[in-house]
Amino acid sequence: MKELIVLTFAVPLLMAFLLPTISRVSFTLSKLIAPLVLLALAIMVVCIWNFHTETFVLHIGNFIGPQGIVFYVDRLALLFAFAIFAMTLLMWPWYFEKDESSDTRTRKLSLTLLLVAASAGMSLSGDIFNLYVFYELLAVASYGLIAAGNKKPAGNSYAAAFRYLMISALGSVFALLGIALIYFQTGTLNLAHLSEMKELLNNPAGLIAFVFILLGFGVKAELFPVNSWVPEAYMASSKRVAGLLAGLVSKLAVLVIIKALVLIYPQDEARQLLLFLGIAGVIVGEFSAMKAQDMTRMLSWSSIAQLGLVFIAFSIPGKAGMLAGLAVALHHLISKPAMFLIAERWGGSLQNLKGRAQSSPIMAALLILFALSMVGIPPLPGFWVKFLLLSGLSAQQAWLAIAVVLIMTVVETNYLYRVISSLYSRDEQQSVTSRHRTADTFSALILAGVLIFVSVQVQTVGQALDEIAQDAVDVKSYIDLSLGGGS
Amino acid sequence: MFDIASILFAGATGLLVIGIGGMVLSEHLYRMLLALAIAEAGANLMLVLAGFKWSASAPIITVSVESIPAMVDPVPQAMVLTAIVIGVGVQALALTMIIRIRNAYGTLNMREVKLKMEQEFADMADLPIETRSVPARNDQS
Amino acid sequence: MHQFSSFLFLGGFLFFLSVLTGILPLGDPPMIIGQAIQNHGVSETGAANLVTAVVLGYRGIDTLGELSILFAAATAGGLVLATGKKKTQASADEDAGFIVKTAAELLFPLLVVAGLYIVIHGHLTPGGGFQGGVILAAAFFLPLLAKPSTTMNHNTMSLVEGFSGAAFIGIGLIGLFNHGAFLQPLLSKGVVGELFSAGTLPLLYLAVGLKVGAELAGLLANLNEEDDENV
Repeated sequence: MKELIVLTFAVPLLMAFLLPTISRVSFTLSKLIAPLVLLALAIMVVCIWNFHTETFVLHIGNFIGPQGIVFYVDRLALLFAFAIFAMTLLMWPWYFEKDESSDTRTRKLSLTLLLVAASAGMSLSGDIFNLYVFYELLAVASYGLIAAGNKKPAGNSYAAAFRYLMISALGSVFALLGIALIYFQTGTLNLAHLSEMKELLNNPAGLIAFVFILLGFGVKAELFPVNSWVPEAYMASSKRVAGLLAGLVSKLAVLVIIKALVLIYPQDEARQLLLFLGIAGVIVGEFSAMKAQDMTRMLSWSSIAQLGLVFIAFSIPGKAGMLAGLAVALHHLISKPAMFLIAERWGGSLQNLKGRAQSSPIMAALLILFALSMVGIPPLPGFWVKFLLLSGLSAQQAWLAIAVVLIMTVVETNYLYRVISSLYSRDEQQSVTSRHRTADTFSALILAGVLIFVSVQVQTVGQALDEIAQDAVDVKSYIDLSLGGGS
Repeated sequence: MFDIASILFAGATGLLVIGIGGMVLSEHLYRMLLALAIAEAGANLMLVLAGFKWSASAPIITVSVESIPAMVDPVPQAMVLTAIVIGVGVQALALTMIIRIRNAYGTLNMREVKLKMEQEFADMADLPIETRSVPARNDQS
Repeated sequence: MHQFSSFLFLGGFLFFLSVLTGILPLGDPPMIIGQAIQNHGVSETGAANLVTAVVLGYRGIDTLGELSILFAAATAGGLVLATGKKKTQASADEDAGFIVKTAAELLFPLLVVAGLYIVIHGHLTPGGGFQGGVILAAAFFLPLLAKPSTTMNHNTMSLVEGFSGAAFIGIGLIGLFNHGAFLQPLLSKGVVGELFSAGTLPLLYLAVGLKVGAELAGLLANLNEEDDENV
């Protein structure tokens, strides 16, 4: 049963390869079969979660030892694997424009499946170069999805995709360089094996390698200096793609950085760097979001700020940091895609949003819910997330970070309040009613349901998260399991 | 001192600096792409060097399984094979985008492209574009 | 300002890398997994070319990822180019001259044979699916250069693409269901150095070669079919 976990990336890849052929036979078939496969895989992940409570490893090709590629499947990886399928199904490109050819539609579906496969691989793999390969697959699939544009491809979607491609490719060169520097000194690529030899990397060359890897994988994680592509790409692409990239893909890149941080670089310098970049990201993101004139751009910058919070949280050493970081990341994973779905029909200037709450009251109410949670109002999960983050920081006596988090919460409240108040303000000349599509409302409602469920069951969820964090920082069992051989 | 590995390392460093420099300094989209190709070559050379061994043979068994001579590390070579193919795919995709950008905007200058992109975003959102005076440079076709 | 900071960044980068010359063990790598693969690679995979043993055996999943990246690039490229005007018979460039056309016809079989040879001998000699696949792609693209008005059959291409990729995953899945590990090498390893040896590795490389060839040829043909009148 447990070895079936490799199907999480093998089957979406298989589907993506065969989809052009299937859709030549019948496009309807290919449109139906892809979400069904994802649904089946999601159910499979849930079954594995239930039947295998212990962490296990898989040796690809039965090559036991550090020379082969190992998949390390703990609760964290399974949680992300499930999140990938659930989120992709919610953000699935159900809608097509009328004048699109079936070839174009099939290509979009194929690219989404490739994105899923790459994400699944990234959540499971325990080999640094293998992670790089999956990361590149993720990147190429997302270039294609951004270039496909919002309604139809136009100059801006090509330009945004190209600029994104250039930044991302530069990041990949850095990541490759970082991997080369690591290999120079240790002669291995397996994360567990590297973790055993981390003393070899506790020198300037090792830290330079970390900086390069951080820059490389940080591109997708919207890390501070390499995130200028974010607003453009989200403006140009469809909001479903934007939600997927901001919510899911960024978290997987964060996951890679965290794996490197926990297993290979426990040094203070590495954490300090992460803290510094996180603070810079929060400040830049929140102030730019405040200045933004339209909702998509505002959400993009706020996404950068939220990921800054994620990095601040992960810079806290030990289990407290892992727990806080996971909480911030998962909260963002749920709320940001929903907010992008809500923004789907409210893309224009914030001035034009006046009185829109009357035409779509559900979406306006959901926006309030997610905004309250993002700011951190008590019964909602966002409060507990910020609580974990601040208590972790105060244990470290990182007063600067605490001050930044608190001040930026005020800024966040300010711009979210501006949007909501204009939604509910009276406007006489309200004539254009662009209703949200049913699937958008449906997906946003499900995500809101998850949010409310978490705030009701906060005890249970907190405990589960605590266990996951405990497992995730257990470096010794990671090494023992990955190199121990028993599969 | 000047052994072959140091010279190759210097070469890889040079390619990386030239490539990355070209990417951040160039304003022409196609030149940026070429610079990317150079930078990738540098990173690949660096990766090959990570398994390079002086006076060792290629990792292919030619004579017999029993007497294996000193061979270079096969793992970086396999990684570079992967990295090269990834690079080719990304560059081909970038090329298709360049064609489309040129079709849509009639220019390949990064500043102008960015300006036109921002203009389109502003049009989509019914916003006035922040009119910053961006001097368009015409020294590149 | 932008230029200044770029130069500053580049200077720092150069400095970092030159500092590393003293730290890194240049020309004398630790070779931890490299040594393990040299010692056990032949007995575990049966391939005489150890790079192939790594590419398809130890790191087979990287190769699958890489194939998917090429597929993703070709798909995304097709998506980007799909909207434009295609070349029509009238707007196509003129055919190349007699020499180029004849040479293309002559070279075609030679390139196909050379490509297939390199693909099939990937586990014995330098070369393999990627290198051979590129030669195959060149073979099929050459006639298009000589006669720009001809078009490639995209249906066949996508069929070859899809099924060679599926074959790679299929071999992996057979390993999973019969022996419990994805991409486990199957079949007998044979005598090292012979053509029919190394179990499923040559089959995997054949799939890689066909996929790379079809993918690259399709990409090039797509770029070639672009109407360049309004460029």
